[in-house]
Amino acid sequence: MEPTLSAVPASQSLSHTTLGAELRAFRMVVWREWAHFIRYPSWIFALLIWPIIFPSTYILSARALSGPDGSGLGRFLQTAGTENFLGYIVIGTLVWMWQNTILWNVGFALRGEQMRGTLESNWLSPTWRFSFLLGVSPVQVIIMLVFIVVSILEFSLFFGLRFNANLLSLLLVVLASLPSLYGIGFVFASLVIAAREAGTLVQLVRGLVMIFCGITYPLSVMPIWMQSFAEWLPPTLIIRAGRAAALTAAPPAALQGDLLKLLLFGAFWLITGYLAFSFMERRASRRGTVGQF
Amino acid sequence: MATLTKSLSRPTLASHLYALWQITVKDWKQYWRYPLNALSTVIQPIVWLTPVYFMGMAFSVNGRAEGFAGYAGTTDYMSFIIVGSAMTNFIMAVFWGMGYALKSDMDGGVLESNWLCPLPRPLLMIGRTFSNMITTALTSLGVVLLGWLFFGFKPTGNVLPALLAMLPMLIGLYGFGLAFASLVMIMRDANTMVDIGSFLVQIFSGANFPVNSLPRWLLPVSLAMPLTYGFDAVRGWLLGTKTLLPIHIEVYILLGSMFLLVGLGLITFKALERRVRMKGTLGQY
Repeated sequence: MEPTLSAVPASQSLSHTTLGAELRAFRMVVWREWAHFIRYPSWIFALLIWPIIFPSTYILSARALSGPDGSGLGRFLQTAGTENFLGYIVIGTLVWMWQNTILWNVGFALRGEQMRGTLESNWLSPTWRFSFLLGVSPVQVIIMLVFIVVSILEFSLFFGLRFNANLLSLLLVVLASLPSLYGIGFVFASLVIAAREAGTLVQLVRGLVMIFCGITYPLSVMPIWMQSFAEWLPPTLIIRAGRAAALTAAPPAALQGDLLKLLLFGAFWLITGYLAFSFMERRASRRGTVGQF
Repeated sequence: MATLTKSLSRPTLASHLYALWQITVKDWKQYWRYPLNALSTVIQPIVWLTPVYFMGMAFSVNGRAEGFAGYAGTTDYMSFIIVGSAMTNFIMAVFWGMGYALKSDMDGGVLESNWLCPLPRPLLMIGRTFSNMITTALTSLGVVLLGWLFFGFKPTGNVLPALLAMLPMLIGLYGFGLAFASLVMIMRDANTMVDIGSFLVQIFSGANFPVNSLPRWLLPVSLAMPLTYGFDAVRGWLLGTKTLLPIHIEVYILLGSMFLLVGLGLITFKALERRVRMKGTLGQY
């Protein structure tokens, strides 16, 4: 005879979670993210326009600072070691935009559900809760790769930017950057659940990157204490390695130090991201604040 | 039985002003409900000015941007930027205050009920920017103070005419904001539109650099925007920079564009508001 509901002990869950079920749930989170992304047609504008307009502010400022006769370029060459301020700024701002997109999209993943009122009901499903956060990343990685390609094409087309890249080195830089950038995103998403003021936190973190990581200028123009602090921020390493790989065709061996550090940072941030999520999830459940906004 | 064709509401000037006051109070409360917002207001200017300062250093010798002077007529890059940043805050206030506020009301599900009030809808939109404008004015003052304390901001010209030149620019901006908010009603994805829209306006109006340094093919876009003359005139008065046109002509352009933009903004808003009501998409997001 089939066991009746009353025959199941109250302490035992009725759900039967398997690896297959978890994978299906993960796939559905990815699919939902994709559907949500393409739901608003303005994403096409964002993907075409953002890659060019954000760096343009700095590129056009640099152009103005160079002067009509290029007299400001001599000083830039002294401090940055290159006259190619265009490529220098494009790489720096691309990394900043990548980090910024992760903070907004991955960081807002849980907050968005909180605002829509779906977080509590989703968390009631017998699914590993970290999947809801992890599932946001694949779509973001794909979008970001398209974003980088669009940026390069647009700058080549409109500003005549030419790269002198070592593609293998560039690929390694991108791969080594993923764990730390997304790890920071996970930590961030967890903090947002508690703080509930995601916008301000994004501005704070991206502000740190903007000030310390030298997205548009060489670190050498900053005071020594700022330079030391910058070395602890993954985007600094990504920008430095990215510039070397994309503008001076540096081979992988020349980037070894930065790549290794990036992987170590990546491991640290991924673990911290998971721990922060677990902690915040328990805290929010205990305090009953999962659905609050 | 007689059919009721007359509205029961009795809107007066006083009731409109009261509504404006209540909207401002509501936004002010909402702003302080999230105290980190206030912290953000303090952080933002530092975040935007510091990298620009270091970038200026990478092109300057002994704090003088000689190359920059070729375009702007001044070697004081930071003062140029600080004036631009303070004014940009107002552009942002209109974009976010009007465009984004509309979307957040849509998301919150209160837009339809708010619009049932016996008030002109443009008034509701303008009301949404008042609280924002107060914080913006404070932020801009903070930018100037920070600039003076840390980045060597030195206004060498006249403050009063500079402030007066800003007035028609701001009123025109409101007109533009109305038209922009109507587009948000149609597109419904305010974040991207506000972000991209405000950024483009910022770039082409010369908030961060003299527009005559733009590539030739982009310069016409910039010259077609009234805001460009606003930035230029204010800097001309305040810092004695080289202006695109004689300042009095720039002020005439600002005055003319003010009437044009307000008129166009109202017409666009009315037309698109009617459209979304007819399609019944006002509450959708």
